[in-house]
Amino acid sequence: MAELVVGISDLKVTNNPADSMVTYALGSCIAVAVYDPAVKVGGLLHFMLPDSSLDAEKARETPGMFADTGIPLLFKSCYKLGADKKRMIVKVAGGASILDDSNFFRIGQKNIMAMRKLFWNNNVLIDAEDTGKNVNRTVRLDVGTGKVWVKRAGGPPEEL
Amino acid sequence: MKLDKRILQSIRALPPFPATVRKVMALAGDPDSSHTELAAVIRLDQAITANVLRICNSAFFGLRRPVDNVGDAILHMGKKNVLRAVMAAGLSRYFRTARGYDVGGRDLWEHAVAVALMSQICAARISIPDDPRLFTAGVLHDIGKMVMGEFVHEAWQRIRALREGQGYSFLEAEEEVLGVNHAALGGEIALMWKFPDEILKAIAFHHRPDQLASGDTVPWVVYLSNQACHVMGIGVGTDALAYRAVGDVAGRFGIKQRDLEDMMARLHHSMREARELVSIVPGPGRNGDA
Repeated sequence: MAELVVGISDLKVTNNPADSMVTYALGSCIAVAVYDPAVKVGGLLHFMLPDSSLDAEKARETPGMFADTGIPLLFKSCYKLGADKKRMIVKVAGGASILDDSNFFRIGQKNIMAMRKLFWNNNVLIDAEDTGKNVNRTVRLDVGTGKVWVKRAGGPPEEL
Repeated sequence: MKLDKRILQSIRALPPFPATVRKVMALAGDPDSSHTELAAVIRLDQAITANVLRICNSAFFGLRRPVDNVGDAILHMGKKNVLRAVMAAGLSRYFRTARGYDVGGRDLWEHAVAVALMSQICAARISIPDDPRLFTAGVLHDIGKMVMGEFVHEAWQRIRALREGQGYSFLEAEEEVLGVNHAALGGEIALMWKFPDEILKAIAFHHRPDQLASGDTVPWVVYLSNQACHVMGIGVGTDALAYRAVGDVAGRFGIKQRDLEDMMARLHHSMREARELVSIVPGPGRNGDA
């Protein structure tokens, strides 16, 4: 079984049911896990920032950095492997903040808002979500079963 | 500061600050020192020399032609950059797994390098001179965790109860249970190593720069950079987001949240280029508990 590690600002897709995909240490970043059970295609994105208008060049070079470039690319990459938007299950986790989230460092909240808006505008429903609060998370997608596991720092993995 | 006897014994048992790094810091800060003197000091330490050359030839410094000796490295990169390479090569050995924080040595080192690089990105953004103290303070800001880890591990249940049950930050819980937090303890280590006062303060107050009376910007830059790296999840442990924001850092530096986002994007790129800097730490990789 191959474990595909998805780094910050990165995304991966696979149709090998023996694979599992994992992304570590989500703070304010968000992991988007998508899965089409009919063709067993899975994808995982770890985006860092809400909006690619911040830096067009970085967005071209590293589309996985931003919600508005990473999420569309994640879906398109899955379509190439035969996934169908209508069947795709979408689960998200992350977008945490440090204590006192009304402050300068609330990138997590901005990421959540940007992601929700994008899904809303594209008629995509989020099937399960574990976002916000002030915990670090590790997210795993098991491509054989489509199960998504979220492990909060210091806790056991729990199915999302 | 009155430290618990066992904690005091632990900091006394730390290896002394590497002599080569100390000498290089002094020479690099002295405008009258020559390149030849600096090269001679570095060459005496073979392990550091090998790593310095590796770092100098990495994408981070972007040299057009590889260098194969310390003299050329200084010539092409300047004293300031060679100092950074020496610090990284000489200090990475202190970074070991910190049990109580549930974080491996490599992750701690990655975090240290990230905060040091972010401090420079931040300095550029707020238009203050790129002060060599920033790199030193950035790399060493969490040095107290090397000692605190064992004690945090022992006291884990109590720290966790304060954190989860009573809304303490991790820093406040450390203080309540162990009588000292990891930042202040880092300050004690800096004192033992006879560091300049401003670096000592930047380490000791990296979570609470608001408690410093002086208007020095270095502790605030390290604070901002560290918070950003915690938010991004770079090399952090169970304490990752359990810290408070203090003061009005945006107002103090005249920056907006978008500037912070831009700094994060820049750091992401810098970290890719700084791969050699990060990878000079041997030992276990990620411990799986991010």
